[in-house]
Amino acid sequence: MTNMAEDLKAGAPPAGTAPAPAPDGRRRPPVAGNGRRSSRERKKRTTDFIIYAVLAVLVLALMVPFIWMVSSSLKENNQVLTVPIQWIPSEFVWSNYTDIWTRIPMMGYLQNSLYLAVIITCLQVLTGSLAAYGFSKVCFPGRDVLFLCYIGTIAVPWQAYMVPQYIMMQNLGLTNSFNALILLQAFGAFGVFLMRQYYMTIPDELCEAARIDGLSEYGIWARVILPLSKPALASLALLTFVNTWNDYMGPFIYLTSNRLWTVQLGLRSFVGQFDAEYAMIMTGSVISVIPILAIFLIGQRYFIQGIATSGMKG
Amino acid sequence: MTTKTITPAAAPAAAPAPGRGNRKQARRNTLIGWTFILPNFLGFLAFTLIPVLAAFALSFMEWTSFSAPKWVGLANFQRMLASDSFWVALRNTVVYAIGHVPLTMALALLLAMLLNRKLKGIGFFRVAIFFPYITSLVAVAVVWNMLFSPDNGPINQFLHTIGIANAPGWTSSSDWALPAVIITSVWRDMGYYMVLYLAGLQAIPAELYEAAEVDGASAWQRFWNVTIPSLRPTTFFVVVMLTVSSFKVFDLIVVMTNGGPGRATTVLSQLIYQEGIGEGKFGYSSAISLVLFLIVLTVTVLQFKIQQRRER
Amino acid sequence: MKRRTFTAMALAVTASLGLSGCAGAAGTAPQAQDGKTTLTVSVWNYEGTPEFKALFDGYEASHPNVLIEPVDILADDYPQKVTTMLAGGDTTDVLTMKNVIDYARYANNGQLQEINNVVDSVGKEKLATLDAFDINGKYYAAPYRQDFWLLYYNKDLFKAAGIDDPKDLTWDKYAEIAKKLSGTSPDGKKVYGTYQHIWRSVVEAVSAAQNGKDQNSGDYSYFKDQYTMALDLQKSGATLDYATAKSQKTSYRTMFESGQAAMMPMGTWYIAGLLQAKKDGKTNVNWGLAPMPQKDSNGKVTTFGSPTAFAVNKNATHSDEARKFIEWAAGAEGAKAISKVGVVPALQDDAVTDAYFKLDGMPTDSLSKKAFAPDSTALEMPVSDKSAATDKILNQEHDLIMVGEKSVADGIAEMGKRVKSEVLGQ
Repeated sequence: MTNMAEDLKAGAPPAGTAPAPAPDGRRRPPVAGNGRRSSRERKKRTTDFIIYAVLAVLVLALMVPFIWMVSSSLKENNQVLTVPIQWIPSEFVWSNYTDIWTRIPMMGYLQNSLYLAVIITCLQVLTGSLAAYGFSKVCFPGRDVLFLCYIGTIAVPWQAYMVPQYIMMQNLGLTNSFNALILLQAFGAFGVFLMRQYYMTIPDELCEAARIDGLSEYGIWARVILPLSKPALASLALLTFVNTWNDYMGPFIYLTSNRLWTVQLGLRSFVGQFDAEYAMIMTGSVISVIPILAIFLIGQRYFIQGIATSGMKG
Repeated sequence: MTTKTITPAAAPAAAPAPGRGNRKQARRNTLIGWTFILPNFLGFLAFTLIPVLAAFALSFMEWTSFSAPKWVGLANFQRMLASDSFWVALRNTVVYAIGHVPLTMALALLLAMLLNRKLKGIGFFRVAIFFPYITSLVAVAVVWNMLFSPDNGPINQFLHTIGIANAPGWTSSSDWALPAVIITSVWRDMGYYMVLYLAGLQAIPAELYEAAEVDGASAWQRFWNVTIPSLRPTTFFVVVMLTVSSFKVFDLIVVMTNGGPGRATTVLSQLIYQEGIGEGKFGYSSAISLVLFLIVLTVTVLQFKIQQRRER
Repeated sequence: MKRRTFTAMALAVTASLGLSGCAGAAGTAPQAQDGKTTLTVSVWNYEGTPEFKALFDGYEASHPNVLIEPVDILADDYPQKVTTMLAGGDTTDVLTMKNVIDYARYANNGQLQEINNVVDSVGKEKLATLDAFDINGKYYAAPYRQDFWLLYYNKDLFKAAGIDDPKDLTWDKYAEIAKKLSGTSPDGKKVYGTYQHIWRSVVEAVSAAQNGKDQNSGDYSYFKDQYTMALDLQKSGATLDYATAKSQKTSYRTMFESGQAAMMPMGTWYIAGLLQAKKDGKTNVNWGLAPMPQKDSNGKVTTFGSPTAFAVNKNATHSDEARKFIEWAAGAEGAKAISKVGVVPALQDDAVTDAYFKLDGMPTDSLSKKAFAPDSTALEMPVSDKSAATDKILNQEHDLIMVGEKSVADGIAEMGKRVKSEVLGQ
């Protein structure tokens, strides 16, 4: 265990090999002359073209099941699971998209899911990035053993401890409420681990310099580290949001009242004892993907923004 | 940076220089460290760590969830080691992990490099690659099973045209069901890990690439000497998360093959679920999860050692 | 600069504290009404299972002082959720027993109250499958619904092929006409003579019932004929092959309602679904019922089925009210209420059966009526604490035989070996 802890510590780039900040902290202007530039541009254009082609093929391969999902959402229930598979509905049942709002309280379920996902994501990102700073940039005894505890629990399948956990929650009077789920999922080890690994890539010299400037540790976290870790924050937020949004077992066990149900539970309510309304399930699935897409489109901007701002700032 | 609350001399918290570190300093650091960790740790301790430890304790007991647990010592472990189903599930889980982890990692990194650039419409492509992860599992299972269909599925038809006469039976064959599941899960998960790599790539300062380019390094050399070393922390995270999630794989297998044909794709977490909440043998299922936990921990440590040795 | 961090922390704390005030958005919380007892009943898929609403509405109408609050649980993982809730000391009054395997588990672990007096007052002789709930002379649940298996058939496809209605079928005869009925329909669709769904009961439970065997015994040689026939059917293309049906998650409803299957052995629960689909114009299949095909041609009809029952939770808040409700639901009033929505009640009564066949859209020919009165109905799976583990093994081996990975003889031998060593501990 202790060995492992030391290894983890060693995971940070040693101070010597860490990228030294460029004197002026700016990207160097291109030194190439005119002729070289145009050949480079031509080369870039060809590469771009190849990349577009590869991506287009890839996207098609990745979208096929989703296309089936959309197509199924426009069929009658008894036309979905046919042999052979039917890609284009023989008759487009657009009414599925209007019926679903009245068949189940879809709007309410969406609100519940959104509420849970937003709160859990915010708490996870906030507490996760705080704890990650403690685990990566502050040195104190017992730090790495504690961190190992965090990683260790990720390895235990939830199925193994969900009943002890439920009994505990029941005794605290927290079952059948959103609070139970928020408390369970907001403080997971995932966010701490992700953010810690990212902070490891940020050179310690930056913190050092900030300290010399007189910043407190909290100030360094808020003013130096957080702005630098936007890409990681965005990906943590996105992944937490998606996982919370798509979670089925957690809400299933902890939310009993129908008014607390999330979208995933609502969709499963179309599964009966002996058969299921697959067209409705697919309709609901298509609808429930839309918020995730919105979040992704907003969040993905930060993945690229990092490039310009990475490295050192003043 | 407007108010100077701390004098520089009192501040160094990270990597205190040997000799200068005094007790007061250490206590200060501990205090600071804990204030950062505490908000998360309190929740983690109460709602994850304690139940996990309770589950581990249960592995030495017999418990039906209806009555008080009874101490049985190592009986659950003896039963487990003697059980055929346990070994089958363990083997399947290990094979799954061996297939799933490297493939997903390689493809996720490849995709992240491909998408880590400024191109028109790059946002759309990024979203598209994340799509498999958010597509309904039922749709994934139905469509992939159709692609894998032994007689008239597109995959086998393709294999026939390139001259493979004995195309595999995929999900309806004991030997090929696991590879089929691995392929599907790689396809599904690579977008997820791509997001993590994409964030990791952002942390690499552009100066490093520029310097390498000035030195005349080829694209391959830049990848090998700049990208890979700089991504080390991210890679460690991805490897650990992938290993853990491979050993815990559950949903996809349940929907795609439900462990079949026979027991060909039954995995440990399925066994834990069935034996535990399915049949009420919570002590036994906890014993399996303790073993699963130990395996994953060992693998994680090993992966780290290997990775480190290669770098030296 | 410290201030900002603390503000963020304070925000988080406020946010989490503020949660307690927030209720769910999907609908309103049930209001307790003055002077009324609120009885909670665990159910699955409340919206999609009309029998529950029929029972609750009926009971509330005749018992104005009681309000029934369904505890709605998803059908998929119903027993898992109930187990978890009970482990936490849940106080739901009435627990619905989805099948007898779960019943055995809860009853043997002392989670249910004994309700012999309820069963007595309903009438032991009237409840067909009551024996299943007898644990050493004590009853911990009373069945209100009884599904059993029969043969659905498509009258138009039979007529087109010039084949008589499937009366007094043996399995041999069934296979023979299934092959004859296979082919292509006039509009170019592939038609299968029959559709045998992927569940192992289609082969195993029916075989156990007609051979009078116990599926927990560890001896499965009697499955042989049934497996040989099932494999022959799929080999000759008279039914959709198992591997395809399983991997494509083929819906038996689709197979029958789209006229792709001329016959289909299936449980009585499908009647309600079929009636509804026809009423909504989602299918125009001209269907009839026939008794399950038999092993012997002695005219006796043996099939299998499984009851659904209500039980009283050990920790129930309103035990007496719960008993009263069960007495009503399992009795004649409850039977009448659920047969109106096309569900077969456990209470066997001519009046109830007559009412059932008066349902709109129900086939009324004599063969269908005969199908509804089998001579004996065996339990799908015995009530035993071994059933869950046996069921798992039989499922896995069934899978291997049906995809052709194992021969019938090998598969059956493996079933016996594994059940003996893993379940019976021999």
